[in-house]
Amino acid sequence: MNKRLLTLLLVTLTFAGTICAQGRRGLRLNEVMIVNDSTSVVDDFGRYNAWVELFNSTFGPLEISSVFLTNDRNNNTLYPVPLGDVNTEIPARQHILFWADGEPNKGTFHTNFTFTPGEDNYIAIYDANGQTLIDEIVVPGDLKPGQSYARKADGEGGINNPDDWEVRDGSESKYITPSSNNIIKSTNNKVDAFAEHDPHGFAMAVMAMCIVFSALLVLSICFYIINRIGASISRSRKMKALADDEVEADHHKEQDSGEVIAAIAAALVEHLDAHDRESTILTINKVRRAYSPWSSKIYGLRELPNRH
Amino acid sequence: MFSEFLTQNLQEFWQLTGFYNATWEHLVMLLVGLFFIWLAIKKNFEPMLLVPIGFGILIGNVPFNTTAGLEIGIYEEGSVLNILYNGVSAGWYPPLIFLGIGAMTDFSALIANPKLMLIGAAAQFGIFGAYMVALLLGFAPDQAGAIAIIGGADGPTAIFLSSKLAPNLMGAIAVSAYSYMALVPVIQPPLMRLLTTRHERVIKMKPARAVSQNEKIIFPIVGMILTCFVVPSGLPLLGMLFFGNLLRECGVTNRLAKTASNALTDIVTILLGMTVGASTQASEFLTSETIRIFLLGFMAFVIASASGVLFVKLFNLFLPKSKKINPLIGNAGVSAVPMSARISNNLGLEYDPSNYLLMHAMGPNVAGVIGSAVAAGVLLGFLA
Repeated sequence: MNKRLLTLLLVTLTFAGTICAQGRRGLRLNEVMIVNDSTSVVDDFGRYNAWVELFNSTFGPLEISSVFLTNDRNNNTLYPVPLGDVNTEIPARQHILFWADGEPNKGTFHTNFTFTPGEDNYIAIYDANGQTLIDEIVVPGDLKPGQSYARKADGEGGINNPDDWEVRDGSESKYITPSSNNIIKSTNNKVDAFAEHDPHGFAMAVMAMCIVFSALLVLSICFYIINRIGASISRSRKMKALADDEVEADHHKEQDSGEVIAAIAAALVEHLDAHDRESTILTINKVRRAYSPWSSKIYGLRELPNRH
Repeated sequence: MFSEFLTQNLQEFWQLTGFYNATWEHLVMLLVGLFFIWLAIKKNFEPMLLVPIGFGILIGNVPFNTTAGLEIGIYEEGSVLNILYNGVSAGWYPPLIFLGIGAMTDFSALIANPKLMLIGAAAQFGIFGAYMVALLLGFAPDQAGAIAIIGGADGPTAIFLSSKLAPNLMGAIAVSAYSYMALVPVIQPPLMRLLTTRHERVIKMKPARAVSQNEKIIFPIVGMILTCFVVPSGLPLLGMLFFGNLLRECGVTNRLAKTASNALTDIVTILLGMTVGASTQASEFLTSETIRIFLLGFMAFVIASASGVLFVKLFNLFLPKSKKINPLIGNAGVSAVPMSARISNNLGLEYDPSNYLLMHAMGPNVAGVIGSAVAAGVLLGFLA
């Protein structure tokens, strides 16, 4: 019964962990445009509206239906992202755009609120419970028409930390990127860094060999210690067993001397005419052989090539 | 009219056939596939791997009209071969193979003599030596890392890493890795003779102590935690390797261990070998890069084997006479399990018929498996 309870508890804890892990904490506000002055994108109806870009910063798809978008600090549940739209699943490390046009009847991605140009605009995402804040930011009021307020790197940085955000004016270095990455990566920075600073691979060889050696050295030391502890435990057990045997032997010695046992045995034989009857049945028992690496299957998998 | 219709259709069909679409590159690759099958069947070189790879090369190089939209090619989205190839391209076949390797491998030799782990680490120098040469030959760092892992002599690890770092080179890297693994008995013995003296080859090592069940159970748990804490990017390979080993050693999951080490490994080996072979389409494979990859792979393998042997010789300088290690087990630091350990044993017996080195060589051999997975994790962490 206890085992069943324990199993149930473990399963419950596992599921609780899974539910927690499936939360929408990886969702990020990524870029916002308060006044879309026809230099940016149009919605499905051909209109230039304010927009909010959300980014899935996790490495798995994220379903965002039933999370809340709001621009009101006193109303966390202002706009619930509707259920039942397949497009509300954001693929890993991808974006989704919401139009802040105050016309939710136009579709899933049209919010029921708008922004106020010239003032600080608060935007937040709350989880489905309406209580758990996922992300928030205050867009500065001095943002000009056609400018966006964007994270410097997609999904990176904290919650409501202006240091992680910047104003983008659409120039070559501050481009506006609705529904795409804020930083366009054409190459792998790590690879470029190695190509630039370690063209001969010497640093890589030294670092990597040190890491490989350290990993196996730590494992080796760990098992050296375990070996020692194991040996000491088995030695002490052996000593104890030997000591117990000696005590038991002394105890029997006191009670039964060899002469007494021999006399009793002789009396029994005389009295009962007892002797062993040999059975004529031979039984062969199957003996379970413990595993031996010498007979392991793996040595049969790759045989030496036959030389003809 | 009818004859015109018939002729037109037959003409269109003719244009779909392999005979019409064949090029000399296809024929070369078909010959390569046949050569692999011949090596496996006639010479018994790694038949479990070379037969699926060889036949895969035949499958992947049957010429067809790639513009016809038949969805049959391995690189055509949604084709059956493409679905099977997902295990390679997404990198989930290698961890399954590692699960099987873990369930098959007895780590007793390593647990009984933990210092042998360092030989497995030393042999990984082949990887990083080849990395440096690959950079010299003009490969980008990520490509160089993917090619260099051939020096680990571990096919699944090579496929796993190349699928992440250089997917376009994966076919050549995988075939190269498996080819050199098959050629272990040809490449390693001359090298071992060259780097050791007759006196060193007859060093007798003390038999390893018996390892308790508890130690065998602790090993995969502690091993996984320690190695993955150091190199989390090696988690898919190391996690599955140690998980398989725990299934084997814990004593209460014999059925799972049996499945992992037999049926599952066999199924994945078939799919992995066949799809890797099929990925070597002539257009992707017959390039000057492939030749360079094969050369680099050979070099990586030689450096790795030599590093293991030389490290043992160096190690012996610090060991008392009674605890000297026979350098013939140094080659086993590459993770071609258990082939390289058998090479150590055979060479040892050649010079002293009473000197059985197999169980001693199994220590560095399985350490090599761990070491190459750690090395792959390091490269992935630095370059991905």
